[in-house]
Amino acid sequence: MTTARGPAPADGRPWPWLVPAVLFLAAFYAVPVVDVVRLAFSDATLIRAPERWSTDALRALMRDPALREVLVTTVVFTAVNVVALQAMGLLITLTLVRGEARGLRGMTAFRTLVLAAWVVPGIANGLIWQILFDEAPYGTLNSLLGFAGLGPVAWLSDPDMALASAVIANLWQGTAFSMIVFYAARRGIDPTLYEVAAIDGASPWRTFRSVTLPLLRTAIAVNTVLVAVQTLNTFDAILALTGGGPGRATEVLSLFTFNTVFYNLDLAGGSVLALILFLLAMVMATLVFGWLGRER
Amino acid sequence: MSGRFGDIATYAILSLLAVFFATPFVWMLSLALRTPSEIYLGAARLIPDAPTLGNFARILSDAAFLTYLWNGLKLSALGGGLAVALAIPAAYAFSRLDFRRKEAALIAILAVQMISPLVILVPLYRWMGSLGLLNLDASVIALYGALGMPLAVWLLKVAFDAIPREIEEAAIVDGASRWQVLMRITLPLARPGLASAFVLAMVTNWSQFLVPFILLERDRDWPISVAIFNFAGSVSASTTQLLAAACLVAVVPAVAVFVFLQRMIVSALIAGALKG
Repeated sequence: MTTARGPAPADGRPWPWLVPAVLFLAAFYAVPVVDVVRLAFSDATLIRAPERWSTDALRALMRDPALREVLVTTVVFTAVNVVALQAMGLLITLTLVRGEARGLRGMTAFRTLVLAAWVVPGIANGLIWQILFDEAPYGTLNSLLGFAGLGPVAWLSDPDMALASAVIANLWQGTAFSMIVFYAARRGIDPTLYEVAAIDGASPWRTFRSVTLPLLRTAIAVNTVLVAVQTLNTFDAILALTGGGPGRATEVLSLFTFNTVFYNLDLAGGSVLALILFLLAMVMATLVFGWLGRER
Repeated sequence: MSGRFGDIATYAILSLLAVFFATPFVWMLSLALRTPSEIYLGAARLIPDAPTLGNFARILSDAAFLTYLWNGLKLSALGGGLAVALAIPAAYAFSRLDFRRKEAALIAILAVQMISPLVILVPLYRWMGSLGLLNLDASVIALYGALGMPLAVWLLKVAFDAIPREIEEAAIVDGASRWQVLMRITLPLARPGLASAFVLAMVTNWSQFLVPFILLERDRDWPISVAIFNFAGSVSASTTQLLAAACLVAVVPAVAVFVFLQRMIVSALIAGALKG
């Protein structure tokens, strides 16, 4: 995108303008990340400064059977969320856009409802769904299922179900983000393409496959990375919903890192895990910006 | 899909989804209005026979809860303000000045957004501990400023880009400095963008759990997000109605602000997404 170039600015030196932002980024991001690397190769605990430098923390972690379990949970949870949030976000976007084009009422109200879930604090999200998933006979979802003659479902006490429940809670809160990205991208599509498709007598499915989907490719790529990063990085909803349990069934990497540092006080081990989180996020950032760079 | 049949299908899909998205809100309200005995009736009592505001009264008459709400408001507003203040000059430079590696710098700022706060909190907790900066509002606010700034830079750059350069050039010809132009002309014109960036940062801060949970150890310093987590750990199932009321008290301010300002915020986000 090129902006209009006015006469050359009186002084083109950006530094005075960038100093505050750069100072904060350095103090709160660059230096801590360097320190995480340093601590990962130390024997530091949360209450003791590093004394020796080694790869012991890394090796201890590799031997830890919990790590495998946590990584599998993380990959499954992230992958399912990436697919589910986008499928839901896309469905909502396309339905909303159709409704708006037809001038149907209630579209803004529906969009507002989805966005309202988005701003619910993660902790409150976890607590709310914990109440909904209550497995007692009077628990919300189980008593509703009871009316239909179904259930009860062990929403949070069955390990596999607990992970599915965590996905449901995340879907409720996270869909709005995908919806915004898709909505913006869908509105960026030239409407004449749809007019041409209509004149050609293309079916809705055909139009979706041949016009909408290809033109949303960039949005899908961007969304995939952003949803994946967001899912990797946040755990407050899971912490409030299941605390990572039962067992380690819902303990994702970020929650595992948090527990390692702040409950087991293992700063070196936690730093290795934080480093893994950081590298995963950076790989994905490179992917998305690389993709955008090529598309331009 | 066109015509009446399509409209019915549209409404059918949206109604199903609306049930999913509305249920948690409706249910929390239903539970929060119940007396303890009606909690055990589950779904049979969506609308309580004897609705009571007693649960809200108990939560809100608790001085500690008012403190938590105030702390939440204070930390998120000041943190959001700091994020925007830091972002303004940077976004202005990205919008108005030409310099080498501008694209790369802009992307680097966005990439920073992808780093989990957890990663940086691990070492920060240690430093702040040894520097005596734990348990200070200022530490949390500074961190909120750093966490919120990248998105604010992006949103403000888009907002500044939308303001014609010609307006500024007239002032520059009259001898005003760039800084004066920014303060007197550009910022007032960019008010909707500034407000969107501020509100988004503030709502994000309101939701923050990890940062205050780790940096603030004293009960009386906690914002509402940390307080309800602690509250949930301290009640048994027999006080579900109180927990539901507490959750609503934590949720409603953010949702209300957002719903009230959503048209402005959503269009700012969509503009940002289109440029990106």
